[in-house]
Amino acid sequence: MIASILLIPIIFSLFALLIKNKVYNRIVLIGNAIIYLIIAIMRWLNVVWFVLPAWLLKYFSFDDVGLYFFSIMSIVFLATSVYSVFYFKESNLTAYQEAVFIAELLFFVVAMSGVILSTHIALLWVFIEGTTLTSALLIYFEKKKSSLEAAWKYVYICSIGIAIAFVGIIVLSIGSKGIDSLFFENLYKYAAEKNPFWLKIAFAFLFVGIGTKIGVAPIHAWLPDAHSEAPSPVSALLSGTLLNSALLGIIRINEIFIHAHQEDFINFFLLLTGFLSLMVSSVFILRVKNYKRMLAYSSIENMGIIFIALGLGKAGIYAAMLHILVHSLSKTTFFLTSGNIYYLYKSKKIESVNGLLYSEPKTAWLWIISTITILGVPPSPAFITKFLIIKALWLSNLGWLIIPFFLFIIFITYGMINVATKMSFGSSQLSTNNKIPGYAYIPQFILLLILIIMGIIIPQQLNEFIINAGKFIG
Amino acid sequence: MSDFLIVLLGTTMLYIFAVGRIEAYVKTLSLQGLILFLLVLLDIKEINWLNILFLSFETLVIKAIVIPVFLLTAIRKNEIGREVEPYISQFYSLLIAIGIFVLGFVAAFWSAQVGEFIKPLYFGVSIVLIISSLFLIINRKRIITHILCYMLLENGIFLLSISVANEMPLLVNLGVLLDLFVGIYLFVLFFNKIQEMYDGNHIDVLTELRD
Repeated sequence: MIASILLIPIIFSLFALLIKNKVYNRIVLIGNAIIYLIIAIMRWLNVVWFVLPAWLLKYFSFDDVGLYFFSIMSIVFLATSVYSVFYFKESNLTAYQEAVFIAELLFFVVAMSGVILSTHIALLWVFIEGTTLTSALLIYFEKKKSSLEAAWKYVYICSIGIAIAFVGIIVLSIGSKGIDSLFFENLYKYAAEKNPFWLKIAFAFLFVGIGTKIGVAPIHAWLPDAHSEAPSPVSALLSGTLLNSALLGIIRINEIFIHAHQEDFINFFLLLTGFLSLMVSSVFILRVKNYKRMLAYSSIENMGIIFIALGLGKAGIYAAMLHILVHSLSKTTFFLTSGNIYYLYKSKKIESVNGLLYSEPKTAWLWIISTITILGVPPSPAFITKFLIIKALWLSNLGWLIIPFFLFIIFITYGMINVATKMSFGSSQLSTNNKIPGYAYIPQFILLLILIIMGIIIPQQLNEFIINAGKFIG
Repeated sequence: MSDFLIVLLGTTMLYIFAVGRIEAYVKTLSLQGLILFLLVLLDIKEINWLNILFLSFETLVIKAIVIPVFLLTAIRKNEIGREVEPYISQFYSLLIAIGIFVLGFVAAFWSAQVGEFIKPLYFGVSIVLIISSLFLIINRKRIITHILCYMLLENGIFLLSISVANEMPLLVNLGVLLDLFVGIYLFVLFFNKIQEMYDGNHIDVLTELRD
């Protein structure tokens, strides 16, 4: 099972590079996404099989929280792979260029799966750095000046951040007398025996390092650039799944400190960075001139919301888990739709896009509904998560934080709705008769349908699934 | 013997603060790789032979030869001679370097008092290496210098990891090395592209993306 997750995409992508056939390329890309989804469903139904040797198998595990993140990744991956076919067509790529894109994308997905499955903290680190290196080439895929700048900033800042996280891992092994195993299982078991002083120093390094990868303020400098300059399917994967896998890293690491009874210490930092991210994104969303950058700032905001939920301890776990799902699906639809808009208007500037409702109604409705779902306007499940966070803030005797939380969210809502109306209404100056094929908006509609159904009623099994994933914490 | 090598490693860092020619940086990097290799050899009684083999390969082959040669080719291809005037002038940089060294030695003394499983001098100098390389990254303007300072940072982290008496499993070590290698390869790839696309090679040219 684990071998198939990590090896099948790599083998097929290497074949794609050799065969250089357009039909085969599409089969590889969409086929791999379907295989991932099937594996997730199998694991759901508790059908498991392992072929790896035991010494290797101990480095990977497929627990409930990992399954939750893996399922989200499979859904997003399937949607983006179907959409990628449209991207190939509109960019007029040759079969070889397509194969290169697919190989990079599949390596990237494998690295993210590795982050989700790792049971050893340093192996998790290796895979997180792997995600940086594989996605850097994807960001530079269009070979423009701006994408080169974005790729350089991304790969450099994230590598430095991850190097700092490695210092944290080394410090973590200082504070343990004679316990020299860095498997998460052992770290949790012996956490209480570790020296709290070294633990706190390790946490500082790990938090800054992996926080850089998640893109929370104040270490978010690379995120708007990278997410806005990457091709649309890649942006969707970056926002919808990469941030999640790094987030899972933080969740697993936080667990060490919860076992060492340092909850108050880490919760303070989670809340602080969460609110800082909200503040930064609310300031920038109001003045942003590029709609893809707006979406990137929205990612920072949502990561901030998840951090706040995690920082509330047990009270916020359910909200955090649900928000991770909601953010991934809605941000994926958003970024894929932004690809359609870019295809129609050939510009990322907000002022160049007008009257979308008249020129391309389907894309316009996708844009408007995505805005609604991500902002948490009912019937969006994000409304439930924000409501739960406010409730948890009140119950944790942090009622005064509700005011800034509300204020920032109101600013962001105003900013994003403003942009959505500017782009959707007005008179259209579009004179081209570019038609957008069905597979460039059907994936988004399906994701939005899932979200809206979840906003009205969360199915019992899904609810249990989210609760089970949350049981990992605490 | 190991104390002498560690002090030498610290001195190479001071030399980097004072030097202006880019090629001198690369040679210093190579020297650091060699010193790290000798330090690993001196630790031989403590670690198993498979890890010794691997660490020797990592330090002697990769850090002392392969990466420096690779960087030197990139530098000569792009005809880069000297570092441009940094943000903070050379004199004050050296003062800051001295400050960082004092901090490192204080950390070394302090860690000897704490009595955890740390080698004090290793620990102090590795802190010096990590903080200095981060300072140099902030202070220098050339993109190639940033790549070199990233390597310095990695050397500092390597020293920190051998200052703790713990060792990583071989699988993890392999992964770390692969990441480092691919990372440097990508850095140089992007560096060459930046040289092609922009006339300058300072980070000042990378200011298109902003809000």
